Amino acid sequence: MGKRIAVDPITRIEGHLRIEAQIEGGKIVDAWSSSTAFRGIETILKGRDPRDAHHFTQRFCGVCTTVHSMASIRCVEDALKIQIPDNARLIRNLVMAIQNVQDHVIHFYHLHALDWVDITSALKADPAATAKLAQSLSDWPKSSATYFKGVQDRIAAFVGTGRLGPFANAYWGHSAYRLPAEANLMAVAHYLEALEWQKDVIRIHAILGSKNPHPQTFLVGGMSIPVDPDSQNAINADKIAFIGKLLKKAKLFVEKVYIPDLLAVASFYKAWAGIGAGVGNFLCYGDFPMDESGRVESFYLPRGVIMGKDLANVMPMDEAKITEYVTHSWYRYGSGDKVGLHPYDGETAHAYNGPKPPYDFLDTDGKYSWVKAPRYLDQPMEVGPLARMVVAFSSGHAEVQATVKMVLDRLGVGPEALFSTLGRTAARGIETLLLAQKSELWLQQLADNMGRGILAVHNGDKWDPATWPKEARGFGYHEAPRGALGHWIRIESGAIGNFQAVVPSTWNAGPRDAAGQRGPYEEALIGTPVAVSDQPLEILRTIHSFDPCLACAVHVLDGRGTEIVQVKAL
Amino acid sequence: MPQHSPPQEQPLDEKLLQRWEARGVSRRDFIKFCATLTATLALPASFIPQIAEAIEDKRLPVIWMEFQGCTGDTEALLRANQPTVAEIVLDLLTLEYHETIMAAAGHQAEEAKSQALEKYKGKYLAVVEGSIPTADGGVYCTVGGDSALNIVRKICGNAAATIAVGNCAAFGGLPAAAPNPTGAISVKDAVPQATVLNLPGCPLNADNLTATIVHFLTFNQLPATDGLGRPLFAYGKRIHDNCERRAHFDAGQYAEAFGDAGHRQGYCLYKLGCKGPETFHNCPTIRYNEGVSWPVMAGHGCIGCAEPGFWDTMSPFYRRLPQVPGFPVEATADKIGVGLVAATAVAFGAHAVGSAFRKGDAMESDKVIKED
Amino acid sequence: MLEIRYVWEWPVRITHWINASSVILLSATGLFIAHPFAIIGVETMAWARLVHIVVAYAFLCSVLFRFYWMLVGNQHASWRAFIPWLTAEGRRNFVKMLRYYTFTGKKISYEVGHNPVAALAYLGIFALFIFQIVSGFALYGQYAPEGFWGGLFVILNPLVSSQYLRLSHHMVMWMLLGFLVNHLYSAWLMDVKERNGTMSGIFSGYRYIEPEDL
Repeated sequence: MGKRIAVDPITRIEGHLRIEAQIEGGKIVDAWSSSTAFRGIETILKGRDPRDAHHFTQRFCGVCTTVHSMASIRCVEDALKIQIPDNARLIRNLVMAIQNVQDHVIHFYHLHALDWVDITSALKADPAATAKLAQSLSDWPKSSATYFKGVQDRIAAFVGTGRLGPFANAYWGHSAYRLPAEANLMAVAHYLEALEWQKDVIRIHAILGSKNPHPQTFLVGGMSIPVDPDSQNAINADKIAFIGKLLKKAKLFVEKVYIPDLLAVASFYKAWAGIGAGVGNFLCYGDFPMDESGRVESFYLPRGVIMGKDLANVMPMDEAKITEYVTHSWYRYGSGDKVGLHPYDGETAHAYNGPKPPYDFLDTDGKYSWVKAPRYLDQPMEVGPLARMVVAFSSGHAEVQATVKMVLDRLGVGPEALFSTLGRTAARGIETLLLAQKSELWLQQLADNMGRGILAVHNGDKWDPATWPKEARGFGYHEAPRGALGHWIRIESGAIGNFQAVVPSTWNAGPRDAAGQRGPYEEALIGTPVAVSDQPLEILRTIHSFDPCLACAVHVLDGRGTEIVQVKAL
Repeated sequence: MPQHSPPQEQPLDEKLLQRWEARGVSRRDFIKFCATLTATLALPASFIPQIAEAIEDKRLPVIWMEFQGCTGDTEALLRANQPTVAEIVLDLLTLEYHETIMAAAGHQAEEAKSQALEKYKGKYLAVVEGSIPTADGGVYCTVGGDSALNIVRKICGNAAATIAVGNCAAFGGLPAAAPNPTGAISVKDAVPQATVLNLPGCPLNADNLTATIVHFLTFNQLPATDGLGRPLFAYGKRIHDNCERRAHFDAGQYAEAFGDAGHRQGYCLYKLGCKGPETFHNCPTIRYNEGVSWPVMAGHGCIGCAEPGFWDTMSPFYRRLPQVPGFPVEATADKIGVGLVAATAVAFGAHAVGSAFRKGDAMESDKVIKED
Repeated sequence: MLEIRYVWEWPVRITHWINASSVILLSATGLFIAHPFAIIGVETMAWARLVHIVVAYAFLCSVLFRFYWMLVGNQHASWRAFIPWLTAEGRRNFVKMLRYYTFTGKKISYEVGHNPVAALAYLGIFALFIFQIVSGFALYGQYAPEGFWGGLFVILNPLVSSQYLRLSHHMVMWMLLGFLVNHLYSAWLMDVKERNGTMSGIFSGYRYIEPEDL
């Protein structure tokens, strides 16, 4: 008889996640992923102005801020058949790309690194040896012995106070930590450096989007940030130069710190290239349109589906094949909990029947999560950087292929290593590098447009609701840092009739479906070793490799439901 | 000729500066930081040494809790510049519990929380992000198997003070927007007896949070607030009255459409639905992300995110006035108003016609003697 | 024998005309504030707001003075004149008047001052005036929450969001404009039908009364 454990809260993620796992013989034999918070934003959206929707949906999540704005706006634009100006496309690409880059770096250093890096061991490192290690990886100018000594002193002073704050009670000294002290010190130094870096480079969002988190310049039909070389109140040459400087800073850090650190840390954890494979099915909506039309064929990251790890066969993605199950989720369908519904026809009445808090374990035979279980052709799908990279790789994307091969060569592993906890973490780095490099092109194109006197940022032809059809429906896609994000809207008489979102963490963190198939988190945990059952560091590694973001995943969809209003307030 | 000398800078304690240098913070940066904070708090420069002492000596234990939020306020904290988040976490405070950035997980994380609660009872600062769902026994948000409502009562009830960051914690925010499916309430409503300071915004501006914490460290009390529990130093003035585009408002120069000539020239966004005239916040003066920008500067109207119930009262965000309750989306206040006046005119016009053809109603007009 | 009676004392007439012109000026400037546009060389919004605020103060003084006069003026100016249903005769006349207006009766109630239906409308109008003054000055006071108006209406902020205050202020303006149409028509109708100086009375103060009719 094995042991049942619950990890709640899973920290260093966005939102509220709980993992329950059954451990036998030091390995996980079964796992359940549950989200424990619910806000009901789609219910709130009903009846409102579709042009306002992006403000609401952006608040699904403050970590992957911008992404829900993007998907919401695209679903309204799809419904109303709006073509956005070229400048708006470029500004959106820039905003989305830098969001991916910044978010991935934060994820690696601040949310994921502590699973691999033992901060306390950094105190034992030799700063000179650390400098040598760092210099062997890249020519990052900061990598001097004095610099690492300074960081070590700062950590020592902090640990010396005896008040560890956020670093207290962690699994320090756990046997699964494998890095030498010097690598730990280097990683800690870069943990602190990345904290500075991320707030610097995200100022691109402030310039183009007014602020971050939650930029406020998205509009149905374009962007609100004006472009005009002859105005001091618009994106002009000065601001282009400022963005250029920040993009360069972003790219340099990724090239010279993040990627070398990723490769260095990964080389100590190669065993994790064989753990955490997951479901092996990948879904990618694709994103970053490369020409003004915005057509799918022009996407920098292509759209596609891969089933059963078959890299030779990329299938076209058809959003009509998506369904959502609530068999194990705290919702109820009118036609029974065994069927799956497409988001357009989705319905939701939340029906919590879990234990009354405080509780020890959830009833995982019944309903056990606020996340629904989305399926593509009735299969669970993994989304995220790994999905994007394997779809692009298999579609013959030259830049992706070159970078993936470079990383695999450096680690001395084959393509099969991609399907793992380590592969997921590596794919995130590869994507960061590509987007950081590509952003400079988009900025250049924006500057070129300005030079040619092309200043439009917004297509206002369909701004007035009087110009809209009585009924319309649309699908909005986006490749968010955490994966494929879809929003579906029905517009009725100028108002939102129905709004639904199927977000990356719904795909990844979803529970079992009607057929009992596990979701990607649950599947990925199977076979994961757990050395110390009350210090399940290994669970965190695999779960964090997906970059969970739970506030996004938990929403209520309201199809034709009227039941939804029966919620009673105490 | 009168002598113009720059204002005398107060000398800071040498030892204190050295200690900061030892932590990797240069004197120049430290003095600049203290001066900025003092200015944000609207205090005279003579307070700089006191501020410097305050952030030096008392590392304040903080328990940061997130409930029905989006982590946007935590992200805002990560963008903090004066001081940076690294300085906050390592030097200014001891963050005893914060789900997004803490290393520990699961029951070890919960243990850290209860340890801090015991050890610093009545002394720690509680920070809450996100609203608290009350419907159906609080099942809509649980952490470590316990409901948000139970946790917030315990943690905020034993805190020296609570800071509600972001609109959700301060006023219920997005989860509480109509029809409020989860019965979401603000921290103050969840724990009425607690001392709660509201720092709304979506998300809040991290500079206002650091200024509040330092105010607390310096004076051992929370700053003065308005009727909604918001500190006056950050929410005492309307955006509209401090807006860089106010001159265009007064001059009658408005952007009529996004991307038009007026919009590109920085004209007032009033006609595009800006809610600056009804929102109290210091966005125009401190801006976001190290003072780079704020919504109006980026050509998008304010959406009023520092006000209670803004999701309902400030929307539709691209119109001047809210939806008239009970009327369809396309019926604006003016369309209804014009309709009302027109209907009155038509009704009385009809009445006039009726009256003109009315005979023998025994009125004075029937008795008029006609002159030849 | 026709009598000429001094009905509308000078404070009634003065405040009537100040109120009337205020409603027109405030509505015109208010509509401009809601839907502004530029005129080259003119600080249009600044002027519109200045006029709106100055006229608002004049309107406030006028309404307050009229309230004072309700206490000290003659019987037609008195507050009692606005609540006709206090007496049985008032209620009878109210029904009579209502039937005349709706073409269901032929007789009207001859009055020296307001007829009972009109009196009720004026009561409503004064209520709307108070609402506009309170909401208007509460909105105006937001520029300085620590100032006089800001302090006076501090209690309103948590109760009503300023956007709904603004919306109500706007909607009540349309109601007052609707009333204006009604008021002009009714005065004209009675002037034509009664021939007793309804219209000229509000300029001169005198009305022509046939005591036998009363």
